[in-house]
Amino acid sequence: MAFILRMALRELRASWHRLIFFFICVAVGVGGIVALRSLVQNVRTALTAEARSLTAGDVYVRTDQPWSDDTRAQIDARVSALEGVALTETLDTVTMARMAANAGTRTKVVEVRGVQEAFPFYGRFGLESGTPYSPTLLEQQGALVGGELLSQLGVQVGDAVAIGNLEFTIRDVIVSEPGRQLGGFSFGPRVLVAYDALERTGILGYASRAERQILLKVPEDAVESLVRGLRRDLSEAFVRVGSYRRTENRIERNLGRAENYLSLIGFVVVILGGIGVWSVTRVFVQQRLRSVAVLKCLGATTARVMAVYVAQVALLGLGGAVLGVGVARVALAAVPDSLAEQAAAATGFAVVSTALTGSAVVQGLTIGVLVSILFALVPLLDIRHAKPLLLLRQGEAPPPAAFDWVRLAVIAAVGGGLLAVASWQAASIEVGAYVVGGFVCVAATLHFMGSALVQTVRPFETARWFPLRHAALNLRRPGNQTRVVLLAVGLGSFFIVGMRSVQENLVTAFSLEMRDDMPDMFMMDIQQDQADGVTAILERTALGADGTAPVPALLPVLRARVIGVTGPETDIQGRRAAWRAGFGREYTVTYRGHLEDNERVTAGNFWDGRPSVEPELSIVDSLVDRGIQLGDTVTVDVLGRQVAARVTSVRTVDWDDSRAGGFVFVFRPGTFDGAPHTFISFLQGPAGRDARGALQREIVTQYPNVTVIDGVEVIRNIRRVLDYVTLVISVVGGIAMFAGGLILVGSVAMTKFQRLYEAAVFKTLGAKTGALATMYVLEYGVLGLLAGLVGSTGAMVLTWVLTREVLEIAWTPVPLTNMLGVVLTAVVVLVVGVGSSVDVLRRKPLLTLRAE
Amino acid sequence: MIELRGVSKTVRSGDEPLTIVHPLDLVVPAGQLLSIVGPSGSGKSTLLGLIAGLDTPSTGEIVIDGTEITTLDEDRLAELRGAKIGFVFQFFHLMPSLTALENVLVPLEIVGASDPMARARQLLDEVGLRERAHHYPAQLSGGEQQRVAIARALANAPPILLADEPTGNLDSANGRHIIDLLVGVNRSRGTTVVLVTHDVELASRTDVTLAMRDGRTERRAPIVAPAAVPAELTGS
Repeated sequence: MAFILRMALRELRASWHRLIFFFICVAVGVGGIVALRSLVQNVRTALTAEARSLTAGDVYVRTDQPWSDDTRAQIDARVSALEGVALTETLDTVTMARMAANAGTRTKVVEVRGVQEAFPFYGRFGLESGTPYSPTLLEQQGALVGGELLSQLGVQVGDAVAIGNLEFTIRDVIVSEPGRQLGGFSFGPRVLVAYDALERTGILGYASRAERQILLKVPEDAVESLVRGLRRDLSEAFVRVGSYRRTENRIERNLGRAENYLSLIGFVVVILGGIGVWSVTRVFVQQRLRSVAVLKCLGATTARVMAVYVAQVALLGLGGAVLGVGVARVALAAVPDSLAEQAAAATGFAVVSTALTGSAVVQGLTIGVLVSILFALVPLLDIRHAKPLLLLRQGEAPPPAAFDWVRLAVIAAVGGGLLAVASWQAASIEVGAYVVGGFVCVAATLHFMGSALVQTVRPFETARWFPLRHAALNLRRPGNQTRVVLLAVGLGSFFIVGMRSVQENLVTAFSLEMRDDMPDMFMMDIQQDQADGVTAILERTALGADGTAPVPALLPVLRARVIGVTGPETDIQGRRAAWRAGFGREYTVTYRGHLEDNERVTAGNFWDGRPSVEPELSIVDSLVDRGIQLGDTVTVDVLGRQVAARVTSVRTVDWDDSRAGGFVFVFRPGTFDGAPHTFISFLQGPAGRDARGALQREIVTQYPNVTVIDGVEVIRNIRRVLDYVTLVISVVGGIAMFAGGLILVGSVAMTKFQRLYEAAVFKTLGAKTGALATMYVLEYGVLGLLAGLVGSTGAMVLTWVLTREVLEIAWTPVPLTNMLGVVLTAVVVLVVGVGSSVDVLRRKPLLTLRAE
Repeated sequence: MIELRGVSKTVRSGDEPLTIVHPLDLVVPAGQLLSIVGPSGSGKSTLLGLIAGLDTPSTGEIVIDGTEITTLDEDRLAELRGAKIGFVFQFFHLMPSLTALENVLVPLEIVGASDPMARARQLLDEVGLRERAHHYPAQLSGGEQQRVAIARALANAPPILLADEPTGNLDSANGRHIIDLLVGVNRSRGTTVVLVTHDVELASRTDVTLAMRDGRTERRAPIVAPAAVPAELTGS
């Protein structure tokens, strides 16, 4: 053992500078893993430590319908059976806030929450003025608001804002707030008011969207039994019962998943580093065959020599991993100001630590070493073929056996090892298998495309122009790095070009939806007695970009929940069964006598204008996959009223064309006669920001309960998120490209000795430096071009699959991005390749030849 | 003692079998200094490689110090070489990444010798390279490199030392120094030495010379036969 370690260290002393690029590759990947894992683990620690303040109570019961007497009675019965229980209620809705009557005309969609005195049981509000929160702030129509509302409405603390029929005085600005969901999509700034005041605003009309919550504070030992009891009692009511532990578990789960997926990104970079290790080991072993033969001649067994080189790789991997941990430390030290403070502000509690966590460091180090060894093993097997006889007969190495079982077994073991490491990182064998499988597929594809492309430059091997002929020969010479470089650089270019293409496709898809003849405004919660008034306002307004768009019809909608499906193959009865079958959510349904332009019947017949014999229902085709068949009877609950309707047609909806909206369930007119419902409308808003604001204002002033959402603003928000996601992914692609570049530099450096000799011979035979330089430019230019082509083609396939299968948007080719990807990759490879060869060009031939 | 019985080596050259060493018997008693001479391609180096277990004979048996080596696998052969055979090459074959001292240390460490450092220093001292211990092969002259190679070959005090054209890559002054060293090893330690050479001076100083041509032993003649060591030599 001592011999193995000592030899490994001595060899490293001489060869580390040749292996440094791969050392850095491992470091970059390990750095990614350690930094991401540590960060997520720290956030997790901070959040779970104060999970109660995320729910603001121990137990919650939530519903999006007004409390029914039955439900209230059952909750009260449970609560009164326990001692030491406190109860408070909250009410949440999305609505419009506007400037007070005489102050101005701006409006803004807000998320308003009404709370009672006892709220919150856990956690603390943070207010901008620094004064502690007290329920008295909300008395006499006081309001606390999110900071962005002030700028958006142009108001200040002390001013009034109107919500529904009431005006509220802004008393302070909320900095942090307990009981707010993390990372959820937000319609607008928060407005906090007193519970009873919110009820008096008049915005909570029948069937308005509002979430009501009963929060309970109960002794710790009663939490579980109370949740179980309430769930049993309320199993058929439309309520959700949970405890802070559920939130805690969800956070645990989500963050755990985030941690694992983020680590996989680091793992992919480590794998790129592994490819580098594989490539360098291959060349390294070729250059070391003589040393291996000497060791064998001096009495070392093959196993011991293998051990020396495995130990070398392990030491190098460990060194890279340690450097990676250092990189992670530095990277995390750079984030606290931005990220940690944001996280703390969003949650209103403890600052998130940016220290590295022990488990992340151990994982990073282990992975760095493991991946290095796994990738080095196969090329190291060549050591077996280094016979000491080589020392007597120069350049004569017996060819390896045609079918090498050991090699095959080691390749299988390495594959298994990688699968194990990936599964460990993702904490799921399935995901691990997908990652390794996907990687193998991409790598194999790149490899074969590379081989095919290399064949295409073959004709140049007989070209008459010296630099061209030798550039083509170099790409195929024994021990060439062509495929390795193609793989590494191609993969990096694949990531970057792929992500950019997907982003452009997304942006194109969104701009398509923003076409001039498409609706860009959405109104909801229009009550039956307000429909005519709203239509009158729309008729007075110049709609559309040119002011001539038609006034859209208001669509009647009801909110329904599936509580039963009966048919020959399906039998779902009750709310819980429907929930388990995947129909748990609340659906917005409509009724009408005709198909819209964006709909087509794929099975059955859509009803005509004749009077309804029985309630009929048309479903969207995706529900067929989830078990509802043509002819089944679907029972829905609409605000307590149960309606059973037979499925008489199945429709397909073109969701991209949103002029008429898209409805999963469409009922035959007459089904809901007499039932209260509201209207929604998709319209083309007026041109210009001011006119749009004026329309919003006019509707909201007259009908304060109506919410008007401006699509332009929503899309602006989505684009912002999209840009951010693209940035993150581009950074990952950039790291991959960086790793690819390192592998390229390393590959060039590794084959430098061979090229030094060749260059010396060429120069001795009369080749000028210029001709050799041209040869390298051609060689690396072609290599870069091939890598770019491989990456760009892969990216095109990736974009096609992602847009069609995952994002479900139309695929738009982005030739410019693809071409730019090819050109930039070629330039990078050219610059790096030729740059690393400058030394070869400048060296005097005699020096090299004498050394040989 | 080295004993070869009916040893031959045939390889395939294209579709034709090519015999490099025709069947031969050879006995080299312990303590003998034997040189093998002959033109290029006569099979001398192949014969040496067979004796060292670097190559497997096509027919026959090779017995080194009582061990029949033709049936040993690669690793057992390596162990045997580590313990019993030292080898010196024409092109030195020092490990370029190790210093002179470390090159000598390697075989000692392979067998796990006690106090390898002192032994390695002593060996370097004996070949006159004490001052060059921490130099890398690239920083040494050819003669110095060959002296390091001899020190390395002697590290585990093997009973047998094989040398393939040890002076073939050196000028005459350095060559003479190497010859002195090899003869000295044989005389002072009683090490059996078999060397392949073109060097007439070197051959003239060995106990027995075996001449080869076209894979056959041509002549056996003790050029200078010291009385102390009887030569038993049979060629076929």
